[in-house]
Amino acid sequence: MSSPFRSKIRQALADPILQLALDNNAERRNTACRTVYLSLPENLQAMRKKAHAIRAEVIANFDRYLEEFIANAQRNGFIVHRTQTAAQAVQIILDIAARHQAKRIAKSKSMVSEEINLNPALEQAGYEVIETDLGEYIVQLRREHPAHIITPAVHLTRQQVGELFHEKLGLPLTDDVPTLTATARRVLREVFLTADIGLSGVNFGVAENGLICLLTNEGNGRMVTTLPPVHIALMGIERLVPTLEDLAVMLYLLPRSATGQKLTVYTSLIRSPNPGDGCQERHLVLVDNGRLALRNTPLKEALYCIRCGACFNACPVFREIGGHGYVGKSGQHTPYGGPIGSILSGGLFGYEEFGHLARASSLCGACREACPVDIDLPGLLLRVRAGKVGAPTSPKVHMPNAPASLKLGIRLFSLIATHPRMFYLAQKSAALLSRLISPASSWLRLPSVTGWGVSKDFPRPAQKPFRQQWKEMHHNTSISTPLLQSEEGDSRAGIPSASQPTQPENLTEWFAAEFTALGGQFFVCREDDLAQKIIAFLKEHQISDVQTWHSRYLPKDLIPTLEQNGIQVTTQANPSLQAGITGVECAIAESGSLLLPGDAERPLTASLLPEIHLAILRSQDIFPRLPEALKRLKEIKPPAAVLVSGPSRTADIEMTLTIGVHGPKQVVVFCLD
Amino acid sequence: MSTTVQFFVTCIIDTLYPEIGKAVVQVLQRVGKKVEFTPEQTCCGQPAFNAGLRDQARPIAIQTIKAFEKTRGDIVIPSGSCTSMIRHHYSELFEHDPIWRERAQAFAERVYEFSEYLVDRLGIEDVGARFPHKITYHSSCHLLRELGVDRQPRRLLANVRAAEFVELPHTTDCCGFGGVFSVEHPELSAAMLERKISNIDASGAPYVVTCDAGCMTNINGGLHRLRKSQRAIHIAEVLAHV
Repeated sequence: MSSPFRSKIRQALADPILQLALDNNAERRNTACRTVYLSLPENLQAMRKKAHAIRAEVIANFDRYLEEFIANAQRNGFIVHRTQTAAQAVQIILDIAARHQAKRIAKSKSMVSEEINLNPALEQAGYEVIETDLGEYIVQLRREHPAHIITPAVHLTRQQVGELFHEKLGLPLTDDVPTLTATARRVLREVFLTADIGLSGVNFGVAENGLICLLTNEGNGRMVTTLPPVHIALMGIERLVPTLEDLAVMLYLLPRSATGQKLTVYTSLIRSPNPGDGCQERHLVLVDNGRLALRNTPLKEALYCIRCGACFNACPVFREIGGHGYVGKSGQHTPYGGPIGSILSGGLFGYEEFGHLARASSLCGACREACPVDIDLPGLLLRVRAGKVGAPTSPKVHMPNAPASLKLGIRLFSLIATHPRMFYLAQKSAALLSRLISPASSWLRLPSVTGWGVSKDFPRPAQKPFRQQWKEMHHNTSISTPLLQSEEGDSRAGIPSASQPTQPENLTEWFAAEFTALGGQFFVCREDDLAQKIIAFLKEHQISDVQTWHSRYLPKDLIPTLEQNGIQVTTQANPSLQAGITGVECAIAESGSLLLPGDAERPLTASLLPEIHLAILRSQDIFPRLPEALKRLKEIKPPAAVLVSGPSRTADIEMTLTIGVHGPKQVVVFCLD
Repeated sequence: MSTTVQFFVTCIIDTLYPEIGKAVVQVLQRVGKKVEFTPEQTCCGQPAFNAGLRDQARPIAIQTIKAFEKTRGDIVIPSGSCTSMIRHHYSELFEHDPIWRERAQAFAERVYEFSEYLVDRLGIEDVGARFPHKITYHSSCHLLRELGVDRQPRRLLANVRAAEFVELPHTTDCCGFGGVFSVEHPELSAAMLERKISNIDASGAPYVVTCDAGCMTNINGGLHRLRKSQRAIHIAEVLAHV
């Protein structure tokens, strides 16, 4: 039996480089996830149930939350476009680009843009579209689709990336990951600074205040939402959470499941345009494209997905075939592979083409175990297999896509298994037949066409099945007392999860430990020696010009003292500046994160463009946990804000961690005690 | 608790491995149970259900429910996968049929996977077995993830005399069986099994113990094809051994 899907499977299995890359991905990601789950403030299983309930609530009362979200986003100044189809979404983006006479569009990662085929449409209309996530940039240069929703270039080795950069960018041939990353930084920096439009995805929209949340590690997401005058955010319409508290639950789980991080380096929280700091106009394009139709079907749980990719990493089938292996009946590509993609691809793009993907699963349940929102993925795969994909009004969609031979076999089996006498005769016949085929060995070598025979032998059925032996047996029916008695119905316990870590008492120390573990530098100082410490740091790095926040948001006397010491200070963004100095609204100890609001006087560029970011934090502004920081954000309502957790980083090439991509390479905290 | 226990042998063990069925009976008798076997039983219906052919799965499930409705007492099944089918999937199989759903529910409340039955239901962790070999343990997927049973077989194996237990690397990775999956996607199944076998090699144990005859058939099928000497065995075989 051959089909494009089968060919892809064989092709993937025969590719040793791909196999190595996929093994590497699975092992590193799964280990990282397991480790970082231990740092959750609550039991993982309780947290998953909570996240599941939040997503279920949103989908169950979707119209209300969507209306609330749209109204709030519009009130904040977003221009909101609600679209039904991929074509509508593409057209709206084309119109925006035309209205602004744009030439260059800088894109950060968006799976929705893959789904609606945005790049080819923009290119065809004459726009230059550049992917800026390192992995996406690599696959774009190769004219490929992403092979994983989180790690687009998961299928490539450093040598392949080296050859690509040599060929396309003229870089001398190298497989040194930091050199490759630095090259991307150099090339893409110019793109960020000259783009007319920044285009991003959206991880979550918050209904209660119309905020959008975007998670990135490299800093490209911040660049495209901060620097270009126009920002277009492309959002799958179902990606809502009711409140900031609910967002906190998602932020506890998404980075942990996606990349094994407590928080991504940059968690952008965008409320409105931010004319004083770059972005003049923000559009929010909400894309349905078949999602809402899934709400009233037995597959609605698929809409709970938060696109972390954990099910990909846990799946033994993904580990064999990678993201490019998941193709339709006619060979059509789907942006969504892996377990969730095997459900969603059919749901969004048609079961006729993609229904068969649900059969490529051993139903081992590793996906469900890995899913941070506890989607019953095996249950959904089973429903697709059974054709249970329609709304309750049409309870049966006729598409059990079992191969004809299997269907026939199962029909026959069903007939036999409903007649015990026939069942026994079938057992006896099988035993006899197998002895005719294989008289000498207790093993059968079945032909490959059976499937089983491809790589395995099959045991000869027993001459006397158990039911026959039972009948003949003189079994001991004497009744004796059980050795031990137990209470009824006790532990059918689930998989235990480790006890939660206790919270350190000293918040400053806790923060410092987490922050330095991320690669940040941490110094404690007094208010009166802060300026001297900063001057010494700048002198040491031979820096004489810096971008800063407005002096009212920094300790008194800091700016004058810097100026007296020959340091040039500006609040204006300037890509040639090597350092930026900012205050910190508050910090989160558990993840080593800094909350930085962004507006005209507190430019986000100061913590983004320079290679070195110096942040001044007061120890009383350190909170233990994320929800407290989000509460502060609720009070101050800046146009945009970001949670910074260490220097920018990527692991897009061979999962090799590299520090310093688009955002700062060094983040230094001066903590005033 | 009644001393009579019903034995649902499962179609695979009935047909391919009657000796495992006998081992289960021996262990249950050793802990003081009177074992009954209804010959009206056949299969739980999982192959048809997993193939997506629910109309074919339903009559098989009904056959099973009816067979055991005529009996009394707990029902012991030497398979995590079949137990999970009954406990977790029958309700969906009968979603449009409240009467059968209720009967399926009542049936499901009586079923226990073999190791779960010994440890959780009877409170027995030592069945007096002796098995003088190095053994390792493969976690079957449905047993582990759908039933949450892992501690139970491990406790039972820990108390087997003269056995040397070693951990199987990546024991929770699927062996690649997956029922109809193994025949529909033989290449994928083979690749997953290859990984499992290399982990079995790494464990150094000649015996891989499992609670599911499906995994056992799959693993042994690959081991035999590769002319390897290790064998997967059912936990009942170890526990029956004295």
